[in-house]
Amino acid sequence: MGHKTYFHIKQTGRNLRHNWPTQLMTVMTISLSVLIFSFFLLIYLNIVNAGNRLGDELRLIVYLNEEVAPEVKQMYENKIREFGKVERIEFISRAEAFARLGRQLDTEKDVLADLGPDFLPPSIEVYPRRSMRNLTSLKQFSDYLTTLPAAQKVQYGRSWVERFGYFIELLRVIVILSGVLLVMATVFMVSYTIRLTVVAKEEELAVLRLVGADNKFIQTPLLIEGVLQGVIGSACGILLLYLIFRWTTGHLSGPGFLNMLDFAFFPPKTTAIIAGTSVLLCAGGSLISIRKFMRI
Amino acid sequence: MIKSFSDDLPIVDIVKATKVYPPDIIAVQNVSLAVGKGELVFLTGMSGAGKTTLLKMVCCIEQPTKGVIEVAGHDLSRIRQTEIQKLRRQIGVVYQDFKILPKQTVYENIAIPMEVMYRSPKEIRKRVDQLLETLRITHKRNIQTAKLSRGEQQRVAIARAAANEPPLILADEPTGNLDSEVSGYVMELFKQLNNAGSTIIIATHDESIYRKSRHRKVELQHGLFSGHVGHRQLPLINA
Repeated sequence: MGHKTYFHIKQTGRNLRHNWPTQLMTVMTISLSVLIFSFFLLIYLNIVNAGNRLGDELRLIVYLNEEVAPEVKQMYENKIREFGKVERIEFISRAEAFARLGRQLDTEKDVLADLGPDFLPPSIEVYPRRSMRNLTSLKQFSDYLTTLPAAQKVQYGRSWVERFGYFIELLRVIVILSGVLLVMATVFMVSYTIRLTVVAKEEELAVLRLVGADNKFIQTPLLIEGVLQGVIGSACGILLLYLIFRWTTGHLSGPGFLNMLDFAFFPPKTTAIIAGTSVLLCAGGSLISIRKFMRI
Repeated sequence: MIKSFSDDLPIVDIVKATKVYPPDIIAVQNVSLAVGKGELVFLTGMSGAGKTTLLKMVCCIEQPTKGVIEVAGHDLSRIRQTEIQKLRRQIGVVYQDFKILPKQTVYENIAIPMEVMYRSPKEIRKRVDQLLETLRITHKRNIQTAKLSRGEQQRVAIARAAANEPPLILADEPTGNLDSEVSGYVMELFKQLNNAGSTIIIATHDESIYRKSRHRKVELQHGLFSGHVGHRQLPLINA
């Protein structure tokens, strides 16, 4: 380690020692901001993942008046694919629909005994691609499918898709707002703490200038101070979230909402991005104060 | 690039310098003084004669209202901020009000100028201990300077100015709070530094430290030089 680094670290240590209550408050604020932001981000990402998994089962069912003859199936497929990209198309005959219902009813399938195998309508099940799984596209696709020959009705769990879409949108807004909170709290608090350090050390800074300290000697420790606050603050925030995550998944395991979501913690890359961004924001806050409040 | 302190130029060259504080208080008037490399000069005069102002102008704390001040060939009115930083590292200053940091220890205060120059921690330890020994304050090494007597604080200020063995030392009333015995140690330190090549300007009204000295003495009265006594005939005029 060079002498420069040694003295910069030594000076940072002095700053932290002289101003530790404020430093502690700043680290706590950063931790809390990171915790709030990453908490909502974790929920959002998990719900989006769950939505994607459920979306794989999403299909539009076109109920038909009559069975589709094998020779016109290709014509139907072509017409459907004309609108947009689809994963797959399945033609369900009356008999297949009846058999499927029987399987679903399992031990209760006796209730079907009095009904003929033709009482269910034939249908076409259209599984849209992921890019088509938003509410607007689904609505348009549904409208298009009603124009197919022999189409009676199109169903796609519209109310469920709508509610899920709104929920995701709400979560996205919360994540953005908590992100803004993180940015503002971090930059403001770090900049404020550095400003307090500068004010508290005014006499020392004056002496340093009189003995010819260069800008790096004075500014680098303050920058290191901001970065340290970011590192410790974000590490505490993420660690706290991880502990909450472990506790929650440990206590709320079993059949339930969390299990349905298959709730998972951030991958290491996302954790690194959150921590890295917090550190950068803290360094930014520190720089703002150095430039604004220090006349060298 | 900062110029070096060379033999052929006066280290300090003050030409017709005047300093007027608002509204119209004349601290220094039309003063010229040249101090050569390796000189020890006593700047004498009563309190309020302008000694402190003159020293402040030499170490770039104050700007002259009129006239030119050059240090190591640099015109201080035209010098850039980064050059001031470099120049200040070459000047050790003992301030009248000490300007030491009360919450830091004696050791930390003396080490500051050497830390600023990124000298090795081992070298700093050795030099600080040497100065503490010379000024007889080794036993106060790890005590906060706020807890020291005025005389001890003054010795810390002197040690800090001498720490880097700078080419130029400006001392403003360095024995003002010291008894004759300690004043003797301080003067001994200045002589050692001077013998090692440092140029020293001591502003003082303590006659006992310069009366028997063979070094040049210049006297300020009400911001004007009243004359000079000494063996070295460098330019010294009230223009």
